[in-house]
Amino acid sequence: MTRAEQIATDLGELVGAEVRITGMASVGAQRATFFIDILDGTTSTPAVAQVSASVLGSVPASAEADMLRLADRAGVPVPDVIAVSDDLPSVGAPALVVSRVEGRTVPRHILRGLTDEAAGESLARQCGEAFARLHTIGEAQAPASLPRLSHTAYVDDLEAKLDVLDNVRPAVRAGLAWLRANPVPEAPITLVHADFRNGNMIVDDNGLAAVLDWELAQVTDPMQDLAWMCLRSWRFGNDAKPVGGFGSVTALRSGYEAAGGSWRDDAVHWWSVARCAWWAIGLAGQAAAFTSGLTDAIMLAASGRRVPELEYDLLRLIADAPTD
Amino acid sequence: MIDRPDAALLLEAMAATLTDKVMPELSGRAQHQARIVANLCRVVARDLADDATDTTAALTALLGTEGSLDDLAATLDHHLAAGELLDEALPLLLADAARRAEVAKPGYTDDTS
Repeated sequence: MTRAEQIATDLGELVGAEVRITGMASVGAQRATFFIDILDGTTSTPAVAQVSASVLGSVPASAEADMLRLADRAGVPVPDVIAVSDDLPSVGAPALVVSRVEGRTVPRHILRGLTDEAAGESLARQCGEAFARLHTIGEAQAPASLPRLSHTAYVDDLEAKLDVLDNVRPAVRAGLAWLRANPVPEAPITLVHADFRNGNMIVDDNGLAAVLDWELAQVTDPMQDLAWMCLRSWRFGNDAKPVGGFGSVTALRSGYEAAGGSWRDDAVHWWSVARCAWWAIGLAGQAAAFTSGLTDAIMLAASGRRVPELEYDLLRLIADAPTD
Repeated sequence: MIDRPDAALLLEAMAATLTDKVMPELSGRAQHQARIVANLCRVVARDLADDATDTTAALTALLGTEGSLDDLAATLDHHLAAGELLDEALPLLLADAARRAEVAKPGYTDDTS
């Protein structure tokens, strides 16, 4: 039996029906995503199975399933949870089976699919509404397994990750020093997706159809989510549109506030710097996996040469910081 | 003696061959990897022509000490970790990051709206 057949068999036992793997959506650093059909008698239900390649740094699949259900109840568009296992036998790693939501997921396809400027603004507004609904999920309701992070704890965590890199990055260090020297007021922490951006969402002709990839979720300042959505890395060259390359910050904010969210400009800016630093460290970490021989993947080697972009963006954000 | 074609020309030829001749024959993952390698050939070509003299000079002036670029960067890193020299270092760090970002992706510093 091939590994794919073994995974299909295990997924079948998990959902209680025959499962056929029909394709692979992506092979990420953290997990593989399979398109599957669930065959039950005469009916065939299209679904998606996410099988983790490693449990490093990701939330347990059961916690991810809990979050999808919470988000759904809060009014965030998400796929339905079909089945979940924290330990699929064939891979010895978590697996999550969800309904398949039709639409576009590739960022450049999403941008091409928007017919005019109004469609992009509408999508940005829908994203703002989805964020506001997500952020109604407070600390008490959020899964207990997720980290709770104050601003200070977040920077401490970044510094620990920076310290174990194999090369010195003074630009990132300067970012952390700036974050410590320029604190902003904190607000009640909420469930934060932490990776909701162009590339982790499904868009159809009506706009936002689903928010995907909840594996980085944490409980922290909700402004982190809004900052991450606006990072230059997720504009795919369309820098005139800060929100995912398709919309304005005004549209994102108006959707957020219309759905009851409280937007704090100073915290959004602080988190923009923090997430630039986070992504610079993340990319440098991917490169370190290559230079240390843990992987021979050329894509991870190339990540090392994307770090300067994040460092430049980070330093520009600091240079352009509003003065008080 | 310098052999021809030189490194820069070879790297450009390698990138062009991958882009124009190899990639059209491929699909999916293999095509994606060929695109990454072609891009890295061009990054390396620009890297060979890169010059960090300005950064070294600015670090030497700021820190008042001589050393290799790596040593100077490590010294600045220690100061920044201690909460020192942030404002003084920002201009040279920005200029250095801009130069490296242009090596990685030409045009990156043109527009930051």
